[in-house]
Amino acid sequence: MNKTVTINISGIIFHIEEDAYEKLSKYLTTIRGYFNKAEGGSEIMSDIEARIAEMLQSKTSAIKQVVLMSDVDYVMDSMGKPEEFASDSSEGSSSENDTNEHSNTYNEPIKKRLYRDGDSKVLGGVCSGIGNYFDIDAVWLRIALLLMFFFAGTGFLLYLILWIAIPEAKTTAEKLAMKGERADINNISKAVKEEAEQLKKRMEKYGDDFKNMASNHREAPRNAVEKIVDFTGDVLINIGRVLLKIIGVLMVIFGVIFFFGLFSSVFGLSFLTHNVEGKEWIDLLLLDGKDFYLGLIGIAIFIGTPIIMMIYGGVKILFKIKYSNRWVNLSAGIIWLIGFFLVLMVGIKTGSDFNKTAKVRENISVIPYNTLVLKMHEMPVNFHEISESDEDKEGEKGYKSYRRNNDYMIGTNNGAKYLLGHAQLNIIKSQTDQISLVVVKEAKGSDKRAATERAKNISYNVSQMDSVIEFDNLFKVNNADKFRVQDITVILKLPVGKIVYLDKSLENLIYDIENVSNTYDGDMINRRWIMTENGLKCLDCDGLISVDDHNNGVDEEIDIQKEVNINVNGVDINAKNAKIKVDSNGVKIHSKESKVVIDGDGIHVDSKSK
Amino acid sequence: MVNSENTKAQMRKGVLELCILSILSQGDAYPTEIIEKLKETKLVVVEGTLYPLLTRLKNTGLLTYRWEESTSGPPRKYYMLTEIGTTYLKELHLSWYELVDAVNKTINKQD
Repeated sequence: MNKTVTINISGIIFHIEEDAYEKLSKYLTTIRGYFNKAEGGSEIMSDIEARIAEMLQSKTSAIKQVVLMSDVDYVMDSMGKPEEFASDSSEGSSSENDTNEHSNTYNEPIKKRLYRDGDSKVLGGVCSGIGNYFDIDAVWLRIALLLMFFFAGTGFLLYLILWIAIPEAKTTAEKLAMKGERADINNISKAVKEEAEQLKKRMEKYGDDFKNMASNHREAPRNAVEKIVDFTGDVLINIGRVLLKIIGVLMVIFGVIFFFGLFSSVFGLSFLTHNVEGKEWIDLLLLDGKDFYLGLIGIAIFIGTPIIMMIYGGVKILFKIKYSNRWVNLSAGIIWLIGFFLVLMVGIKTGSDFNKTAKVRENISVIPYNTLVLKMHEMPVNFHEISESDEDKEGEKGYKSYRRNNDYMIGTNNGAKYLLGHAQLNIIKSQTDQISLVVVKEAKGSDKRAATERAKNISYNVSQMDSVIEFDNLFKVNNADKFRVQDITVILKLPVGKIVYLDKSLENLIYDIENVSNTYDGDMINRRWIMTENGLKCLDCDGLISVDDHNNGVDEEIDIQKEVNINVNGVDINAKNAKIKVDSNGVKIHSKESKVVIDGDGIHVDSKSK
Repeated sequence: MVNSENTKAQMRKGVLELCILSILSQGDAYPTEIIEKLKETKLVVVEGTLYPLLTRLKNTGLLTYRWEESTSGPPRKYYMLTEIGTTYLKELHLSWYELVDAVNKTINKQD
């Protein structure tokens, strides 16, 4: 089964097989190429077409309605190759015309077309073909291409694209066209200009036509409408032609640039050793090394195929190559899809490993003291941060503290590599009267179990020396566990009445610890804090302006000084519903419900319920 | 060998004009008829040669044509000699015989 095309030659309709049509139309185009600049060229063409119609008519009948390839071959055989009879016409004209004049008409060089030169080829005749087109020795092109081959293999792929895109010059006509008019970069731009020039001329002509038409308006109204349609159609086509040339040039230029960029980056990436930052990061993200190459190949194909097709299309537009190979398009589509699925596969595989989040709580026993000193232990590791680019380095300080909790690093310890992350400390009120320390480990995984396993694998140290508790600033993840948004939060549960001293070193460890005065983290350090029923309360915050006061002014500051007073005389705390006073007389604690007084007389306890 | 083919083709082309005019002097004809006659005498190998030639002869005023409807195909373009064409042909005839004479003499001398 073959697809047929309906064509009209010289007013007669033929059904012709698609491939036969391609051949015939190419044949006619070539002939037209020879005659279109000759005097009476269109007349010759229509004579030839009439003859072809006649021949085809003799080849078809009621039974055999379709024009086949063999019929076209027959026509071409008997009509002859264009270069045979075209040269005849120039021969003839020279016999009677002035030689100068004839050189202006018939000897006008054939429009050069780009073909592969099969006669002087090394591989596919691409270089020799291009050499013919630009009048360069093919050797230089071969050398250039060979050099480009060593440049990440670009030359090889470029060659393949050109091989596919450029048809081989098979017939003599094509071979002549291949070597015809000089065409170089200047001529291409000239061609674009000419096209624009012609467009202008035609526009003017149409303009005149339009005027004439308008004056003859009454006589031929229908004709006028047709002319307007023709006019606008032609104008659009011509504008389109110029645009197409420009687009073709841009497509090739950008295609080559993109292609080169893509290829060097893909090649660069694939040769990355494990010591390079970017690669370490990718390694931590992907499940195994195989995925890296699969993903890389996928991305290369996914981005590369359209780029290659862009160059291919650009070359075809630029050199007016009409022949098309649907296998090229089809296989490009399939290859692109393969690339797409590769990327998708790696993406899904990696993404699914982030599916579930698990939290593991580990209790660390704390030897209780009335006042605990909290310090941060800076882990001595050689590391480089991975989520920082050079641009960020300038504002490193602010950046670092701001995004402290999101920054991960890769650290080396005795040659082994670890993913390091910043831990976070929080202090909350204990529900019991025990001091307890909980390390919350968090990680993601494909399922709950894997996530839990990963969370458990995070190593983090807290140590206590007498009343001093030291928290590591970083937690450590084995490289094999990958980066799965691991996180550590240490929660110190402090019973009411216990005091902690936040060492200066804690600045980078604490984050938004709740306290009754809404004090900033930066202001919480170097101070003692006591756990009250309402939360942490500062013991050494004399003169410190609380957050609220930043907004509300001085009035409240006085209130705070009224409420809490700790000095050499003792402690005086005035809360809304309670009062504590410690001084030389002893201890007095008043609340709504009860009253406790310890003084020289002993201990008095009064309670409303009593 | 290829060169000899080429020369033969050039020779044929040179006299083609004369032959076409001669054929048309015997009566009006449309291209297919002209081709058939030329093919009988093996003067034309490919048909395409004819069309540019006809057009050129017509443009120089040696030929003219009229359209005739055809029962089986597209309308046919019947070519005929003009007066100038007829005189031109006579001159051509003369110079042809002169040429043949001269060429023969030359060839025979070489032998």
